[in-house]
Amino acid sequence: MIQMKTRLHVIDNSGAIVVECIKVLRNAKWASIGDEIVVAVKVAKPLSNALSATNTNKAKKGDVHRALIVRTKKEIPRADGRYIRFDDNACILLNNQKQPLGSRILGIVARELKEKKWVKAISLAPKVI
Amino acid sequence: MKLEICSFSGGKIYPGRGRVFVRGDSRTFRFLNSKSESLFHQSKNPRKISWTVVYRSLHRKGISEEVSKKRTRRTVKYNRAIIGLSWDNIQNRKNEKPEVRAASRKTAIEKAKSVKAKSQKPKAKAPVKK
Repeated sequence: MIQMKTRLHVIDNSGAIVVECIKVLRNAKWASIGDEIVVAVKVAKPLSNALSATNTNKAKKGDVHRALIVRTKKEIPRADGRYIRFDDNACILLNNQKQPLGSRILGIVARELKEKKWVKAISLAPKVI
Repeated sequence: MKLEICSFSGGKIYPGRGRVFVRGDSRTFRFLNSKSESLFHQSKNPRKISWTVVYRSLHRKGISEEVSKKRTRRTVKYNRAIIGLSWDNIQNRKNEKPEVRAASRKTAIEKAKSVKAKSQKPKAKAPVKK
């Protein structure tokens, strides 16, 4: 249940650490796993790292990006009747072509992304639950 | 589908029941109901809660303890015939008196010796012929 002002962890190597949801791109009040949102970067890795490694740290504090939700604390129903929930709300940042901004995902993601055709995010993830 | 076991209470989770919780370190926990899920999140120890399977097995409650008793395997002996000999024949041989056995053995040896002696004669002649 991600809505405006929700803070999420960023689990890719784009440089952002914590982002805040500023818009849900869905005709609903809240977004769930596999949904796209617009976020503002609240906490990012320090800029000195960005100068040394230009490839990483694409996101700076205050940037506005699109993001894909990969884990939620709110449980979601599975087709087999079970419910699954995670410890935190987490997302990865996306570019304008809806591709992941970072080159790596550092953490588990939910299987629901596959059903919503986020193939790139699934292939980058170390573990899919 | 597979039956799963509740991480807290130890009860069986039938298909369509239960909830999966994925912790930050990517360990997954399955819960049968909200009661056990809630107690897990309160970081209660299932060993100290009297209705869980762990507690009951620790304190030897119910029949689960008797089931887990060790059963040793015993080898079962039984008698059967071997190729030509029936079981009765074997039994007769076994029950013969030692004197009878010795006598029969003696006659057998003598018989074999005589046969050997007969067969050796032509053998001894053979090289001469050549």
